[in-house]
Amino acid sequence: MAALTLPGRRTTRGAPTRAEFRVGGWARSIVLLCTAMYFLVPVVASARYALEGAHGTYTLAAVTALFHDPVLLQSLLTSVEISLGAAGITLVLLTPTSVWVNLRMPRLRRAMESLTLLPLVVPVVVVVLGIYGAFPTAVVASPVLLALEYVVLAMPYSYRAIDGGVQALDLHTLVDAGRSLGASWPETFRRVLVPNLRTSLLSAAFITIAYSLGEFAMANLLSFTTFPTELFQIGTEQVDEATAVSVFALVLTFAVLLGLSLLGGRRRAGGLRRGATLSVGGGDGIAAEVDAVLGHVDPGVPGIVHETREVP
Amino acid sequence: MATASGVLEAGSARPVGGGVPPRAGVRVELDQCERRFGEVAALDGFSLAIEPGELVALLGPSGCGKTTALRALAGLEQLDSGEVRIGGSDVTAVPPNRRGLGMVFQAYSLFPNMTALENVGFGLRLRKLVASERRRRAHDLLDLVGLGAQSGRFPHELSGGQQQRVALARALAVEPRVLLLDEPLSALDAKVRAQLRDEIRRIQLEMGITTLFVTHDQEEALSMADRVGVMASGRLQQVGSPDEVYERPVNAFVAEFVGSVSRVPATVGAGATVEVLGRSVPLPAGQAAFAPGSRVDVLLRPESFAVHADRDGLGLVVRRAFLGPVMHAVVALPGPVEIVATLPSSAAGEVVVGSAVRVEATGSPLFVTEPRPEAR
Repeated sequence: MAALTLPGRRTTRGAPTRAEFRVGGWARSIVLLCTAMYFLVPVVASARYALEGAHGTYTLAAVTALFHDPVLLQSLLTSVEISLGAAGITLVLLTPTSVWVNLRMPRLRRAMESLTLLPLVVPVVVVVLGIYGAFPTAVVASPVLLALEYVVLAMPYSYRAIDGGVQALDLHTLVDAGRSLGASWPETFRRVLVPNLRTSLLSAAFITIAYSLGEFAMANLLSFTTFPTELFQIGTEQVDEATAVSVFALVLTFAVLLGLSLLGGRRRAGGLRRGATLSVGGGDGIAAEVDAVLGHVDPGVPGIVHETREVP
Repeated sequence: MATASGVLEAGSARPVGGGVPPRAGVRVELDQCERRFGEVAALDGFSLAIEPGELVALLGPSGCGKTTALRALAGLEQLDSGEVRIGGSDVTAVPPNRRGLGMVFQAYSLFPNMTALENVGFGLRLRKLVASERRRRAHDLLDLVGLGAQSGRFPHELSGGQQQRVALARALAVEPRVLLLDEPLSALDAKVRAQLRDEIRRIQLEMGITTLFVTHDQEEALSMADRVGVMASGRLQQVGSPDEVYERPVNAFVAEFVGSVSRVPATVGAGATVEVLGRSVPLPAGQAAFAPGSRVDVLLRPESFAVHADRDGLGLVVRRAFLGPVMHAVVALPGPVEIVATLPSSAAGEVVVGSAVRVEATGSPLFVTEPRPEAR
């Protein structure tokens, strides 16, 4: 681009010069560095504390001790099960709800938004009592109770994640297209909507899992042994081990979420090749350039022209 | 209903797109359809019959109910009353996924997560066609719409025109009994629109598929359709061949909506004539119901006027539009009346903006109607 080849001078179109780009780059780096430090310094400090041995040496003793504590491992397993259950219930309940509200009852959209915010203002104890009253004893006496509660408590965030994705789709057209091609409602939902809501659904699942894995107050209140409550218990006796567990849990959660996130983005990115050119509209005279870039010649479509943009 | 596998039989004719055989269309009927949205009647006793293999265009202003009629045929809109029949069977209560129709939408409707090939194969997948056959048929259809080389692209990698071609291929892939086109060209630029218009018509004729095409663009409707239905306020005002609708409108709405007309005050004369702009011209056939001496408005096409440069003329040229071989001149007449006249570009030298002209009616009016209340 011409704007990038004229250092030190503002172009006639007012585009930033190279010097301005450089300053902007530095500013971005500083902001990113500050943000990274804000999050990483406590984690690094915790890791250092957990790994510090006698006389300034470092040891993995605190970390390896984790894997020899059956109660801790069981609590971790319980928390993972609860969080996966909560995420599953969230997706099964909220996705059709959001789709239906947007498709058939758009007037209720505001009401749903308000309704899903209620867990933020209703005291946790009230939610607990409500769920206690609504489900049989077999359910409320098991960790399933926690999963149900986490669905409600994470709903202000998870519903927004799903609803944002649903609203970003041309829902009516996609549904009509699917139906007109012979898909039943469940098929339309499964084959058309869910794949296109993938990112939103993963976000909702992340939020619910993250919330469930870290929730302490309600699990402690209801005397369930989950990962956070067990961590708290260990912390009262062996601080270095508890710190090691915390760091380990943080890294593990981050790795899982990153993995899921990459998985979610893979399919869409797969459609594009680096350096490929996208057709995004009409405009005369650029078709040959597009075809040259893509290595395609389209003899069947003379006169079809494209505007182009580079895929980074 | 024809099955997807039906077209894949060995030895079937392949005159189109290297693998898409023609099929006999079915008759479609919408009978006394009613659909209300609150106080508004989107369909108000709407009836239409489409013959097998015919392309009917529904034309009308925004909100006239044409899309509702198409959606009712597709099963995407529930009727309050009335009946929809396809191939003689009542499908009013049949859900859209079981009507065996193909539809192309106004908005880009390709599934974003699928390639062009996968989009075209979607309906075939639902019909449990084996993968190899599905791919072959999808490729055939992409070839048919000229996008064989783009089969691996995702919708966001295709231009608007290409997306609509893929949508057309996708609609045809399921071997629909009826093809429904809901303003599929309205989002495209003029050049692509004209090209795709011809292509849709070519494919429709070659496949012999019964087609309902909804548009607000009269040029599209008149150039593509076997018959054109003009709608207003949920009712079909007239249905007929393009030249019939253009030349013999049944009411003032159709006359004014289709093509360009000028409304000029006139007086009914003796012997089925009408005095307009100082000349006596014949009343249109079937419009002799006005008593001699009645004041009326006549609707005249631009080509029904002769415009002569004349310093003593009562007309004043207020605008001109150059259209190649002909020119449109907008002339203000006393009344006040404004008319649009067509004149050959080669003869329009003296008819310039601001010049005085004499205007004559040279042909029979398109339609004669009561004067507008404010003119009485």
